[in-house]
Amino acid sequence: MTGVLFFFVGVLTLAGIYAIFAQVLNLEAGWAGMWDLGLVGLVAVGGYTYIILTQTQNDEVVFAPGLPMWVGIIGAAVAGGFAALVIGVPSLRVRGEFFLITTLAFAEVIHQLTINLSSVTRGTVGFNQVARPFESFVQGRGYRLLLLALVWVVAGLVYLVMRRLVNAPYGRLLRGFRDNDPVALSLGKHTNRHRIFTFVFAGVVYGATAPLYLWFLRTVTPSVFSAEVTFVAWTALVIGGIASKSGPILGAGILLLITETVSLAQGSGDFAVVLSSARFIVLGLVLILVMRYRSAGLISEQRSLGGASQRMAETAS
Amino acid sequence: MQSIIFGIITGSILAIATVGLSMIRQTEGFINIAHGQFLTLGAFVGFFFVSEVELNIFVAGFLATIIVGAVGVAVSLIVFRPIASSGPLAQLFTSIGLAYLLFGLIRVGFGASVEFFPTSFGTRFEVGSVNVTMGEILIVAVAGLSVAALALFLTRTRLGTWIRATASNPSLAEVRGVPVSRVSAAVWFVASGLAGLAGVMVGLIGNVNSEMGWQQILIILAAAVLGGLGSIYGVLAAGLLLGLAMDLSALVVPTAYRTVVAFGVLILVLVLRPEGLFSVAGRKEAG
Repeated sequence: MTGVLFFFVGVLTLAGIYAIFAQVLNLEAGWAGMWDLGLVGLVAVGGYTYIILTQTQNDEVVFAPGLPMWVGIIGAAVAGGFAALVIGVPSLRVRGEFFLITTLAFAEVIHQLTINLSSVTRGTVGFNQVARPFESFVQGRGYRLLLLALVWVVAGLVYLVMRRLVNAPYGRLLRGFRDNDPVALSLGKHTNRHRIFTFVFAGVVYGATAPLYLWFLRTVTPSVFSAEVTFVAWTALVIGGIASKSGPILGAGILLLITETVSLAQGSGDFAVVLSSARFIVLGLVLILVMRYRSAGLISEQRSLGGASQRMAETAS
Repeated sequence: MQSIIFGIITGSILAIATVGLSMIRQTEGFINIAHGQFLTLGAFVGFFFVSEVELNIFVAGFLATIIVGAVGVAVSLIVFRPIASSGPLAQLFTSIGLAYLLFGLIRVGFGASVEFFPTSFGTRFEVGSVNVTMGEILIVAVAGLSVAALALFLTRTRLGTWIRATASNPSLAEVRGVPVSRVSAAVWFVASGLAGLAGVMVGLIGNVNSEMGWQQILIILAAAVLGGLGSIYGVLAAGLLLGLAMDLSALVVPTAYRTVVAFGVLILVLVLRPEGLFSVAGRKEAG
């Protein structure tokens, strides 16, 4: 019984991590209109920066300063932001599908580099037994509850920041040039500079929160940063409702509960392949059905942001 | 020299895989991420016919093309037709959902193990300083024939003319009486069928595994952008060029960096020439 209970603690922790990713994605894609299909690349840059700066156990790695955790987190945030700047400046000149493909390509390049630069990243072996904060205070299973609380506190903080952002003039500006770029430009707004700034900010948050993901998994290998992370965050966002405030959190909760519960079922031999595939089938079906029957998601932008977008819709018609 | 041969093989497979993605992008208006899974499906169907039914590889490849083409038409009717008016975002994410669904179903149906075609490539012979096998020549020949057949189909038949009309201006084509649903079905059949054929070829030169669709779709997207997402001949040339670039880069950097090279080329092109290498008309504003 406690086994099942702790399984759901794990699911909720993972859901919290995806709630963070989906909220940042919402800022990029929902409000600023930049379809980022490579967010896992930024998470990987942050995650690897953190682990390389802080790890102490492996001496095969050429660069292992063994710095304290908080330095690692700052380093991860800086690296995430810098990576976003490097890909944002060239690719944000072109919008829509081209940005989407560039980010997807970037994530794949990062994935290949983490596999091949094994003198820095330890290749496919990766890092194990990632050290976690406050471990000396809480032992064993109790630590999972602590991590659950930590993840959701961060998710809550991100929510507060995002809520503040979207109601501020800055958030209105983002949504404004998402909907009508020429008008925003004609009003003297530097749309491209704002886009780059938003993307870099997203990179900083992805980088800074990447250690949470590592603390949860306890291992760092290239395979934990597969494109699946990007697609799960996107699915959570579109299920919950793209461009709404609480949609990404709701979507992450529902999606992770569904997909992880499916994988709870155990099987052996041939049947194990069927069960492990069931997650992908469920993920795919949920995405197709939501797009078909509720393409605005469970919480729509209008319902979430009320007044402003309602009025905008009315004046438009 | 040897690298050029490998580059031509990779490139011609990539070209026929990419041309389908580009056709769907032009006539249906969105990027079909599930296109990569059609390659996987084609490879597994081809492998099934060769190893279980013990058919000749050419018959198996032909059947795989037809079957995957039919699957493409079926999913377009069941999955994509109902959301045709919901815009490119909904269609794109539906295609990602479909990619996951197909990926899961393929793993259930064919297993997750890595398979090799039991087909022999025939003896290796030397032409000047290079080694080639009959099988490799046949792959390039079949790819070339497919492209030639596609070009004849698009320029010489009525249905082909309709497809090109729809691609350049969908609403005008509809107003002029082009049967939209027949064009759509034909495009899905040709595009998915070619993806299935490319899948069999990828399986032949390498192996057949359930992950191959995800690996291939990234390179296909790179080739599609390189070719300018629009013109079909541009995409063919881009596919060949990217294949050559990937295999020739092996002379300078380790082969593990093949994909990195492909995307390096892509990012470079996006920075220098965002409209693609071969775009004649200006880039259509995306989204």
